[in-house]
Amino acid sequence: MSVIQDILGRRELLYNLVLRNLKSRYKDSVLGFLWSVLVPLFMAFIYVVFLYILARGVPISEILIGVFAWQFTAQCVMNGMGSITENASLIKKVSFPRLILPLAATLSNLVNYLLNLVVQFGIVAVILAFQHERIPFQALAVPLVIAYHTLFCFALALFMASLNVFYRDMQHLIGVVMTAWFFVSPVMYSMSMVASLTDKFHSPLPMNLYLLNPMAVIIFAYRALILPETTFPVTGFVLAALLWPLLFFVLAYVIFKKLERLFADVL
Amino acid sequence: MSEFVIEAEQVCKEYRVFGSVTPTLMNALSRYHRKNARVIKALDDVSFRIRKGETVGVIGPNGSGKSSLLGLVCGTLSPTRGRVRTVGVLAPLLELGAGFHSELTGRENIFLNGAILGIPKETIRRRFDHIVEFSGLRDFIDMPVKHYSSGMYIRLGFSVAAEMDPDILLIDEVLAVGDVTFQLKCLERIRDFQKRGRTLMIVSHSLQVIEEFCGRALLLHRGKLVAEGDPSEVVFTYLKNYMNDSNEIRTTEYGTQEAVIEGVTFRDEKNLPADTFHTGRPLHIDIAYLATKRIEKPVFGFSVKTANGVYIFGSNTQIAQFPLDAIEGRGVLRLTIAPLTLMHGNFFLSLSIHSWDHLIQYHRRDDWYPFGVKNPTSALGLFQLDTRWSRPES
Repeated sequence: MSVIQDILGRRELLYNLVLRNLKSRYKDSVLGFLWSVLVPLFMAFIYVVFLYILARGVPISEILIGVFAWQFTAQCVMNGMGSITENASLIKKVSFPRLILPLAATLSNLVNYLLNLVVQFGIVAVILAFQHERIPFQALAVPLVIAYHTLFCFALALFMASLNVFYRDMQHLIGVVMTAWFFVSPVMYSMSMVASLTDKFHSPLPMNLYLLNPMAVIIFAYRALILPETTFPVTGFVLAALLWPLLFFVLAYVIFKKLERLFADVL
Repeated sequence: MSEFVIEAEQVCKEYRVFGSVTPTLMNALSRYHRKNARVIKALDDVSFRIRKGETVGVIGPNGSGKSSLLGLVCGTLSPTRGRVRTVGVLAPLLELGAGFHSELTGRENIFLNGAILGIPKETIRRRFDHIVEFSGLRDFIDMPVKHYSSGMYIRLGFSVAAEMDPDILLIDEVLAVGDVTFQLKCLERIRDFQKRGRTLMIVSHSLQVIEEFCGRALLLHRGKLVAEGDPSEVVFTYLKNYMNDSNEIRTTEYGTQEAVIEGVTFRDEKNLPADTFHTGRPLHIDIAYLATKRIEKPVFGFSVKTANGVYIFGSNTQIAQFPLDAIEGRGVLRLTIAPLTLMHGNFFLSLSIHSWDHLIQYHRRDDWYPFGVKNPTSALGLFQLDTRWSRPES
């Protein structure tokens, strides 16, 4: 794969761009990195209180996992979208594999997510300790989910990056789309609430449709691995649903590759 | 014969332009937009080859496709048709500071910019002190560059860029920015590059830079390669035939037109029409005029400027004490410059006819007539001074 070789050839650039993204994100404020953890924590707190008022108890740890995972995806979409347009001066003047820009946006969010996960695991461990429980052994498989999640995020970043060059008003639309997606993803509700759909419609169809949302599968997988009480039945349908984000990645890659020749023309 | 390191074969570059609006989804959906789409040919069937070690300048009016051409060679743009092939490591001398991130410190930006330009991190680390020294920003190096002045920005950017050592260096107009010291540093660096046998491609509006540095020049006009060869000759062709097309040098014309300058003929010492002359020999300028009514005591004026607009000399028939009684109808007036003390370069002649009290401007053409000068000696400079060497008698 010559693309991988190209990117490896410019790994210093990739490294420096990731560093730039992280530094500029953490630098502007005294609290720096803390903000990137505090914001999702505040959000989780709001959902917990809100759901408590609605008398729909969802365990705090489930919401935490959901919010952090969602935050990673959402930031990759937003940063990925701007990754080409915000670097117009570079695109026009310097020749390097364009893929590096959305990749750097994804990787810097991944670093941020991993740091956040340390905090998340700490809090979850404390909550579980109060319930005389422990993070189970299968949590060791979490990196696999992270890898899959990251690949999906990269696909989103690629897709949004190339789209935004040609449709600069994407950002207005994407705000609405992200809000809708947030609600159809299990960020602030748990598996049982979705499972109740099956009883309501006396059919597994709604549940299966629901699982076509990659974020649903990803968040359920995180929860099942990290929380001892939570399970996620892996059916044949779930395995099939895992495939389509990979196809989406290929599609996003092909689109990006096809359009990148025109980036400098349009910017 | 050395190898070709840049080869362009019948290159065309087209842009689809949708009015002046930024591309949006809303526009793509509206039918109005589709009607508005227009294809602009930035480059049309351009072919050229550049050998290793050559310095080639690209000139042409605004919008003639110079930057597109450089973009195609650089690889940031891809040709609509045709092919561009390059050999070796290629780097653009960036618009200085492009790629800087305002939140990061000078130190961090040195490494980031180095990575963008493809300079190995090891090189930057090893040369770090030198880069900082060169920029003269030691006291500010750990400050975010957003607090830098634009001059500091440029200095830092160039200090990093100066560490590049590509086989082919592409320069787009960057020579025109910065203060005099910076420009000198920049030119110094370019000479250094040439000495080491690197290939350079320079786009510039500074025609003097092109003449001074380039071994060859390409002239683009409306996307076509219209002239190629010796820089002075190409620059002259440009000044003579294409400059009026654009508004780059303000060739202006005004006056009441009661008397007009109908034509100008430059003649050499043999009285033959020419457009390039030699330093030290005479230059005759025949000015054909037409006065539609009788004008008492008119004054003919002229001035000479360099291609870059430096005013060299200006005078008129009044100052020269060559009084004209009256003009009516057609006539010719000769202005002789002998000896011609201008040195190598291209120059502009401006002419005017006005009343004796300077109150009425009959006709004035500024920067209208270009002519070239060649200096057969190896003396340098803009102007020939009348000099002799001797030992003083003590």
